[in-house]
Amino acid sequence: MGDAARGYAASVSFRTIDELEAALRATGYLPDRGLATALFLSLALEKPVLLEGEAGVGKTEGAKALAAALGARLIRLQCYEGLDVSHAVYEWNYPRQLLHIRAAQEGTVSEDELFGAEFLIRRPLLEAIDSDEQVVLLIDEIDRADEEFEAFLLEVLSDFQITIPELGTITARRKPAVVLTSNRTRELHDALKRRALFHWIGHPPIEREIEIVKLRAPEVSDRLAAEAAAFVRGLRGLDLAKPPGVAETIDWAHALAALGREEIDAEVVEATLGSVLKYREDVETVRDATLVALVEEARAAGAKG
Amino acid sequence: MAHGDLDVPPLRSGGALAAPARGVGVVRHVVTFGRVLREVGIEVGPGRVLDALRGLGAVDLTRQEDVYFALRQTLVSRQDELELFDRAFAAWFLRAPVVPLVRRQDLRRGPDPVRDTLDPTAPGDDAAGGPTSELGASVQELLREKDFALMSADEFRRCRRLLEAVARSRPLRASRRRQPDPRGDRLDLRRLIRRSLRSGGDPVEQPWRARKLVPRKVVVLADVSGSMDAYARALLLFLHALVGSGRGVEAFAFGTRLTRLTPDLATRDPEAAIARATEAAVDWGSGTRIGASLAEFNAVYGRRALSRGAVVVIVSDGWERDDPGLVGRELARLQRAAYAVVWVNPLKGSPEYQPLAGGMQAALPFVDRFLPGHNLRSLEELASVLAGIERRHAA
Repeated sequence: MGDAARGYAASVSFRTIDELEAALRATGYLPDRGLATALFLSLALEKPVLLEGEAGVGKTEGAKALAAALGARLIRLQCYEGLDVSHAVYEWNYPRQLLHIRAAQEGTVSEDELFGAEFLIRRPLLEAIDSDEQVVLLIDEIDRADEEFEAFLLEVLSDFQITIPELGTITARRKPAVVLTSNRTRELHDALKRRALFHWIGHPPIEREIEIVKLRAPEVSDRLAAEAAAFVRGLRGLDLAKPPGVAETIDWAHALAALGREEIDAEVVEATLGSVLKYREDVETVRDATLVALVEEARAAGAKG
Repeated sequence: MAHGDLDVPPLRSGGALAAPARGVGVVRHVVTFGRVLREVGIEVGPGRVLDALRGLGAVDLTRQEDVYFALRQTLVSRQDELELFDRAFAAWFLRAPVVPLVRRQDLRRGPDPVRDTLDPTAPGDDAAGGPTSELGASVQELLREKDFALMSADEFRRCRRLLEAVARSRPLRASRRRQPDPRGDRLDLRRLIRRSLRSGGDPVEQPWRARKLVPRKVVVLADVSGSMDAYARALLLFLHALVGSGRGVEAFAFGTRLTRLTPDLATRDPEAAIARATEAAVDWGSGTRIGASLAEFNAVYGRRALSRGAVVVIVSDGWERDDPGLVGRELARLQRAAYAVVWVNPLKGSPEYQPLAGGMQAALPFVDRFLPGHNLRSLEELASVLAGIERRHAA
């Protein structure tokens, strides 16, 4: 669990959306009012929040920022097809169990002993439910998990309890704040959606994207940040297989600054396009005249700002 | 993504709500608003209305933006409903000029061959094994060979059940999820440990697990333009049965533009489903823009990976009104994401048929299997192809 950032601060709570928004900004994340409202309501109503939107609009980052703002521990469950209880909730430590049986005298090991807490490997969902400190549980890309897991998750999110047949039922002493994200590769089940608040995150308006780039890539000049954001915005208007997200704008701005650029031109854009567009066919779409026109527009926008 | 950029609908003069004040007023207001949303087709249960009220209790009611998001995030759970919500919100809370708030205008005109054929009051289509079994083998055989375009309404009703049976065979794929299976390829450790306990730690018995087989995704894109009219009713029935065969099926119709039919066809009753689908696709009997429709599919649904790993079935005669080159380019894009592409062309049923239509010619290099689909027998063939299809079949 590389993402488990531990926070020992006393738990924080927010009385207004403004307070939460300020706390999120203080962590280096710039939410729009809608996202701040969604996270605030999720805490106030103690309901999971489902964040949907295209890749790279900052869904996962939003959950991380919430954890940082709350001073809570972030527990992340990355979903994939075939994700099951042994990877999401708990698993028994089989090698240790086997060694234990071997080491003991024949016939002296009881089943209770073998399936005790000592041999239990705790996975993210169990960690989140069975925790005394405040936790933000990030269930990332839930649309990648299969329906069996979605059904299981629905149960966990309704009761906030987990049953391990050998040990009994564990109920959350403190409900975790739950953030689900989805790239919408498939429609989620209605029952799960009913359980959660829903917020759709679009690409940010240009002013905020510039602000985000400047915050995340402080070495980038104002002019370059404005031009990069304007150019990426232009790309999103084209018919691309994968339109770039804010994450790509930030990466690209870093790359341009590393090349010592204060502004963009057709040549440097062509050379660095690979950090913005991830598909060969998209790179081909943005060639020659299209590229030159987009660069001109972006430079004009940058000069104005 | 027109919507994502628009965070709040245009406000009318200044911040505060035009809505009545707090307390009982708010409750009644929100309950009524829930009803307005239901009328425009957004599913709003009592639980959601309650959430909306709790949400409003937590935010500053004088800030219109916060009220908007609190209502939107509690009452709506699908991105494609946001536009409807925005219009309803503008009309209800901001007293904006009222815009027509219907999900779809009924644009159908004149008598409808599809619906008329499927008139639920018509006899003889529901009794299981009724008329069909009385027909006798040779008559049934004839029916299976008969071109859908030449069938009488009565004949068509008789072959409906067969058509549904055909649609229910789905291709399978190995899931990443495993289940107990004595011929499996991975040890079931949890059971192994439990059993080893009896033998002092020796794994005498070895339980195995194997990958489970689950239905593969199927995406059907059906051409409902004028030149395909004769096959439209058979096509719709086929689609309805396919959608009813379980999750992971997506159905689209296209003529000059693309319409997603899946939600409309998800009703159990075929007549009702087909009536809704007919209403949804405003394109019936129009010209064909296959390339543009495929482009729309790729841009909107392909990006959401709807087609990734799916068997994509395109039903069309390949008559493209615009540039056939676009058909090839977009189909190539689609094929890269899909598991396999099957093109069903009813005209291929004729022995003299040559794929001369420009769109068809441009498409063929990117098609894994090219099949007729003009009668029941050819649909049976389609079903068996779908059941056994492998990636990159040669056409």
